[in-house]
Amino acid sequence: MMDPSVIAQTMLVIAVEEGTVLLLAALGEIYAERSGVLNLGVEGMMAFGALMAILTMMATSSYVLAVLVAVAAGLSLSLVHAVLSIHLRTNQIVSGLAITILGLGLSGFLGRREGIIGRPIVALPDVSVPGLSAIPVIGPAFFDQNLIVYFAYALVAAMWFLLFRTRLGLNIRTVGENPAMADSLGVNVYGIRYLCTLVGGALAGLSGALITLGYYPAWTEGMTLGRGWIAIGLVILATWNPSRALLGAFLFGGVTALPNAFMSVGYQQIPSSFLQMLPYALTLLVLAAASIRGLRKKVAPPAALGLPYSREE
Amino acid sequence: MRVASPFNLNLKDIRLIRRSSLPRWESILFSLSGLVLAFVVTGVLFTIVGVDPLAAYWAISQSFANPILLASTIERATPLLFAALGLVVAFRLNFWNIGAEGQLYMGAIAATGIVTLHLTTYPFPKVIVLPLMFVTAFLLGALYGVFPALLRAKFQVNEILSTLMLNYIAILLGNYLIYGPWQDPGSHGFPNSRIYPPEALLPSIPYIGGSSGFLIAAIASVVVYIIMNRTTFGFELKVTGDSVRASRYAGMSYTRVVALAMVLGGGLAGLAGMSFMSGIMGRMKENFSGGAGYTAIIVAWLAGLNPLVAVMAAFLFGGLLVSGDTLQITLNLSASTTNIFQALVLVFILASEFLKKYRIVWRGVG
Repeated sequence: MMDPSVIAQTMLVIAVEEGTVLLLAALGEIYAERSGVLNLGVEGMMAFGALMAILTMMATSSYVLAVLVAVAAGLSLSLVHAVLSIHLRTNQIVSGLAITILGLGLSGFLGRREGIIGRPIVALPDVSVPGLSAIPVIGPAFFDQNLIVYFAYALVAAMWFLLFRTRLGLNIRTVGENPAMADSLGVNVYGIRYLCTLVGGALAGLSGALITLGYYPAWTEGMTLGRGWIAIGLVILATWNPSRALLGAFLFGGVTALPNAFMSVGYQQIPSSFLQMLPYALTLLVLAAASIRGLRKKVAPPAALGLPYSREE
Repeated sequence: MRVASPFNLNLKDIRLIRRSSLPRWESILFSLSGLVLAFVVTGVLFTIVGVDPLAAYWAISQSFANPILLASTIERATPLLFAALGLVVAFRLNFWNIGAEGQLYMGAIAATGIVTLHLTTYPFPKVIVLPLMFVTAFLLGALYGVFPALLRAKFQVNEILSTLMLNYIAILLGNYLIYGPWQDPGSHGFPNSRIYPPEALLPSIPYIGGSSGFLIAAIASVVVYIIMNRTTFGFELKVTGDSVRASRYAGMSYTRVVALAMVLGGGLAGLAGMSFMSGIMGRMKENFSGGAGYTAIIVAWLAGLNPLVAVMAAFLFGGLLVSGDTLQITLNLSASTTNIFQALVLVFILASEFLKKYRIVWRGVG
């Protein structure tokens, strides 16, 4: 049996790492959904970003370029979804699924074609915060991570502030709640929706880059393992709020670490599957709680989520 | 003075004019051109990365031409068809069930539960094993489908989000069972259920091959067609789907209609899970579905929510799944290559739906 504090520390590290991948994608999806665009293509954008990051890294040995290309990859897929669901007013569920299979298809096809399966790169180095990283148990998890992780923390604050404390944020929320009213107030509904959908794509691409550049620095097909779908669940649990997404991300990330933790303490009999269900069950409860009158305003989905907007109808 | 031309494109000059009607042949032409465009774009992509597009298309076509592969196509199409039929019913009601994946898992769990019981503690007479699996798979799928329907009717819970969450819970439950109590003692710790005995497998179709589940699914599509077009419930489904308010004025209960629709929809998805077990896998494994519950959404939508057209759409997508394997074996391409083609078909057909509804006019030119 291992030392409990070592296990706790390892679990926390996994929770933060897995959580940050989910967090980045969820932050982007929060903006898309807040503007009324449901994008079920997160998994595809993430997979495409993950592949393009590692391909660029192999070709140029530049982390900066690799991250930028991954962001552009996610962005370009989300642009397809944006055109289809905003201008062409198509069914957002079908369009989002198309993006998911397009991203998974492109990454599988290109990755195998380039023959990079299992070829390792040097992972993005961790930058430890002097002093803080020496704190036992929590130090290594929170203060000895790569720069993308620190960027994600900063992004939570920035995106929360933008959404709830600025004019642009108010416009985004209005467009997602009542696009006709936003339009009559002179807000550019399509412009806002494009902006938010593209932010979603860019961040999904970045989260893919974090997987391949940061934690699993060798590519295999299907390595996103449904994380994009989990990120969509996280958006709901976070009730479309960036700061709550931070807490939810550690919860979702934490349950990922459970099976291994149980193994290492010798409790193989505890069915970790049931504990892994907890965040999803919790998310369902949050959804149901939205029907309670006093809570509705705080936890309900954007009213125009998934609905196309046009002036004539 | 500003001159509008394609080279001086100003989005403000674009006007969309709603078409009053579109001749049927023109509508089909739009969809077909979407399909052709998908072929062309995929071909260009193949050429760029140095794959002979004709060789690739030939390999893809074999799923529908080569007798052995055709049998696999029929097998892979079966769960897609069952699940898509269930979705057709729900989508007609404007109930966006994304949960076919979870309902399908519940069907597989029910089927595997019966088999496990049969093999361990309580051996049933051999002839009733398949019917028993069939009924329990339908019931468990239906139960799992009704839950989000009631959440929607009673608590206004958005079904897209709730069914997505229920998918994870069903998958995790399945994983628990095949890692735990239902694990095959002979599988050396791998997450597999016991191997299904012959009496739990669907027999092959004579002469053609492929599991006879496809025939049952085809019959089911006729039944769903009749339910939707010839019964009171089908009428209620359409009225409520078009306008919940209008259906209330007509005295229809939304709760009743949505619950019934999801009993049928979830049950059919449950049968999809059972047909995976008894027609393809022969045992429950981790990630057995390959996201078939999501692919079924595409099948249902491409079929225009018509249960009879869904047979063809499911057959096409079953074939594409087999093509993926063929491409991997013959041309060493990723099996997910056909995903690109699927996605492009969807993107272009989605776009053509728009062009069917609207004419695009440049104000400056006109």
